[in-house]
Amino acid sequence: MRVYWEIAKRALSRQLTYRTATLAGLATNFYFGLLRAAVMAALYGARAQVDGISLQAAITYTGLAQSLIAVISLLGWFEVMRSINKGEISSDLLRPIGYFKFWLAQDLGKAAAQLALRGIPLMLGYALFFDILLPQTLWHWLAVFLALGLAVLLSFSWRFLVNLVGFWVTDATSIGRVVYIFSWFLSGFLMPLRFFPDWFVRLCYLTPFPHTINTIVEIYLGVLTPGQMLRALLLQLAWFVGLTLACSWVLRRGIRHLVIQGG
Amino acid sequence: MKALRLYLWLVLIQVRSQMQYRVGFLLETLSVALGSIISFVTLALVLQKFEGIAGWSLGEVAFLFALVELSFGLMDMIFSGFDPDYFAAHTRQGTLDQYLLRPVSLTLQIFGSQFILRRLGRIFQGTLILVYAVQLVNIEWTVGKILYLPLVIAGMVLFFGGLFMLGATITFWTVERIEAVNILTYGGTELMSYPMTIYQDWMRRFFTYIVPAIFLNYYPSLYFLDRPDPFNMPFVVRFIAPVVGLGVFLAAYVFWRFGVRYYQSTGS
Repeated sequence: MRVYWEIAKRALSRQLTYRTATLAGLATNFYFGLLRAAVMAALYGARAQVDGISLQAAITYTGLAQSLIAVISLLGWFEVMRSINKGEISSDLLRPIGYFKFWLAQDLGKAAAQLALRGIPLMLGYALFFDILLPQTLWHWLAVFLALGLAVLLSFSWRFLVNLVGFWVTDATSIGRVVYIFSWFLSGFLMPLRFFPDWFVRLCYLTPFPHTINTIVEIYLGVLTPGQMLRALLLQLAWFVGLTLACSWVLRRGIRHLVIQGG
Repeated sequence: MKALRLYLWLVLIQVRSQMQYRVGFLLETLSVALGSIISFVTLALVLQKFEGIAGWSLGEVAFLFALVELSFGLMDMIFSGFDPDYFAAHTRQGTLDQYLLRPVSLTLQIFGSQFILRRLGRIFQGTLILVYAVQLVNIEWTVGKILYLPLVIAGMVLFFGGLFMLGATITFWTVERIEAVNILTYGGTELMSYPMTIYQDWMRRFFTYIVPAIFLNYYPSLYFLDRPDPFNMPFVVRFIAPVVGLGVFLAAYVFWRFGVRYYQSTGS
């Protein structure tokens, strides 16, 4: 366990070194947040509430979505694919640690850094510009962070699974890109899923993706009853476990299939 | 003439090499088109639910959106070499020095160094939405409008191309790519997809007087859609899009020439 902790810590401090990049990323997220907040305000016009979401909640949503995107990193991750492609995986596999856990530890470290450097500062900046909603009780905050943690885990398992395609296809980034676009759309990053027609939302919830951003948003905004909240958290956990099992199965087959070119 | 032939030759090489991986090419094109279609579908579903935005119907917003998409897609293909994300690798790894040694204009070589064909996905998609938007809003076409449309697209290609060039030039000093430039390029496309009335005054002023984005898509669209101007600017500003685009491009070009003269190489 200790070794994974150290790997995660290394990943975290690696992120901390890219300070200008982080600042630039923060500025970009903030700008997009401002744009989307303006769009929300114009869409609402004189309406007080739409589908249980007030304008204030909708504006909070635009900030949340921007803060979460770097933490959950749904927008594309090809590192495992690349290491399979280049053959670096051979040395990783020689290490006496689990391959899945090795990458998971790095991802968690990175997510923690992104949360501290981008997610939280962005929401604080947002609070200066807008009158945003904040969870009022400790339990509410706990539920938000629990959902966030589960979403990071779920997102990782999903991305890892996509990367494993690299065992069978030499240049799998193009496949990955198509797949990531779907996960990004269905996650509720562009608009709260509640705004879409029912049949569409039901379709989304057949996939693991709304359990990332949309679930956190709904818990944060308090639009779920405690029962629904519990169910949402359990579904996140179930998807994470399911995807992780799928990863380990595919990984085992992939390694058996793997041929490293000498060089 | 010789320069043009050389440029076309370089582009042809790019196209050929990208067509070597046909499945990869098709998938990438598909993914680009998909990303842009998805953004539009989201927009359309939401606009339908809210019955338009700030007095603009779905068709009218689709018109704004499609014009930017189409122009940005074109620009992204032609100016691929100047894409700061790509160009930063040249300055960082010192590969730019190779180009400087060749007895051909550097600008021409950078134009020919990258020509990403998969952007066709976005161009195709933008065209489709444009056709759809025109059907929805029933534009009263006049000769003036038909002649002006390609000029507006050219203006935006030059405008965004200028921004790419600006971003590329900055890497001469920073070496690393500057993500903040994305605010103007990718952020610009998003900003220009909506009527400018929805933004706060300071933001709109910034995109009028500092980065003149407002004249490139919003004002021409007021002309195409026969809409009144809520900001009471002179009528003629609807027609300055190509001039503004060219101006931004030329300013960026001068800056680029200046940057090239300054360039000292990373020495590695």
